Amino acid sequence: MASTRILVADDHPIVLAGLRRLLDAQSGYAVVAEATDGIEAVRATLAEPVDLAILDVSMPRKTGLQAARDITRRRPDTRVLMLSMHADGQYVYEALAVGASGYVLKTAIDRDLLDACRAALRGEPFLYPDAERALLRERLRRSEAGGDGDDDGAHEPLSPRELEVVKLIAEAYSNDEIAEQLVISKKTVERHRANILEKLGMRDRVELTRFAIRRGLVEP
Amino acid sequence: MLSRLGTMPLFWRIFLTQFAVLVVAFLLLVFAPVTVSIPVAATELVVLLCGMAALAGLGLMLLRPALRPLQTVTQTMRRIDPLAPGQRVPVVGEPSIAALAQAFNEMLQRLEDERRESARRALAVQEDERKRVARELHDEVGQVFTAIMLQLEHLAASIPPELRGELEELRETARIGATDVRRIAARLRPQVLDDLGLDSALTALASAHADQTGVIVDRTLESIALDAEQELVVYRVAQEALTNVARHAGASAVTLTFRREGRSVVLRVRDDGRGLPPGATRSSNGIRGMRERALLIGAALIVRNVEGGGTEVSLRLPPVEGR
Repeated sequence: MASTRILVADDHPIVLAGLRRLLDAQSGYAVVAEATDGIEAVRATLAEPVDLAILDVSMPRKTGLQAARDITRRRPDTRVLMLSMHADGQYVYEALAVGASGYVLKTAIDRDLLDACRAALRGEPFLYPDAERALLRERLRRSEAGGDGDDDGAHEPLSPRELEVVKLIAEAYSNDEIAEQLVISKKTVERHRANILEKLGMRDRVELTRFAIRRGLVEP
Repeated sequence: MLSRLGTMPLFWRIFLTQFAVLVVAFLLLVFAPVTVSIPVAATELVVLLCGMAALAGLGLMLLRPALRPLQTVTQTMRRIDPLAPGQRVPVVGEPSIAALAQAFNEMLQRLEDERRESARRALAVQEDERKRVARELHDEVGQVFTAIMLQLEHLAASIPPELRGELEELRETARIGATDVRRIAARLRPQVLDDLGLDSALTALASAHADQTGVIVDRTLESIALDAEQELVVYRVAQEALTNVARHAGASAVTLTFRREGRSVVLRVRDDGRGLPPGATRSSNGIRGMRERALLIGAALIVRNVEGGGTEVSLRLPPVEGR
């Protein structure tokens, strides 16, 4: 039987090394790619398909959640597991919304990671023990905030692409750099930027950065 | 005449008072039947002394009201409390005293502005520093623990059975370390405040207090939109107040409320503990810190002992139209 091909992505090399060592030691698992940010992770899975992508939620350039959205859309066969320091319903909710199969807390990574990998590969969801309660609270919060908890798009004025641009703007990349990283033209970036500011009714990068923090797109 | 006297410059008022006294003395000497023999006779001395006393009394009567505003200014200056800004000297009386009061008021204003500005800078620096430390704890130390836990899990597969117990202990220790780092980072800089807003952050504070002390915090929290600076002040005041309760109060019941009261928004942290020792509102650094933060957003902070024992900290935000 061919071994399971795994991509690991985390912006901390020390964690990346630990993940690789642990996973490589399991029979039937092989870490075939590493990435230190979301853009690299997406590129790697597109370049060479993997069975399982393990992504840290908070990464530079493109968050783990944004990378997960791209990966599950463009490589539907790839299972995605999220790693996170945040035991927080909002993140779990988003993780499931972008198509991840599991959410593992870094404070329980030793206990949960291998179980989560096995569950994901069987096509079953894996959540940390308290996640369901957090998820329920988040559902309630969303339905209180926006009336209908089901429909994500109704309250989210920005498209996934625009959210990617927001993250890069908040990380202080220039229009040229953003164009290069997202592989779109500079004109398109400028149009996105103007649309985003108009949709959110904001004036400048400072306000946009604050929005990006609230949305968990960048770490404060 | 008298009303004009009130606004006459001090210099002229003193001069004219003295002049008036001299004129009276002069007229008395010229037109009154008084004579002074040499050596002076006893009756003459009595008359002279009475005259002098009368003139001194006249001077006193005329000068005293002129100088009274100075006393008012002095008393107000003595009462000025740097932690309760907004007090001003009444601008009344003759022009030079009014000018003094006015100048004093303007100086107060400049000092208050400067004080508020430097407090804001100091707190901004402190918040930035906390954010940086929290971030580094989270990012650096937290990730080291993650790596250690991964390595332990890796080791678990190949370790001889007799060492399993110790490995489990080590694993537990690493988990405690990781959780502590998260807790400390969250205390330094509540990410939940940035991510989910004030009421979630206050709820998290209340739960943390309950975890730490075993005393449930009874909370009533309204979801009220504030600007970022106000949110941070409310959060830090609640945090400091709950810290004080945990450290000193020995309370068995704590309430945390954040809601509209009339046109203002009020945060209250109340306990049924042993109350404040005398002088604590002045000497405690924590209370001072809360006051400084309250000043920044123009809020009123009151720390007091409540009837029947216990302490209440209340922070009343300035009313805003249309809130």
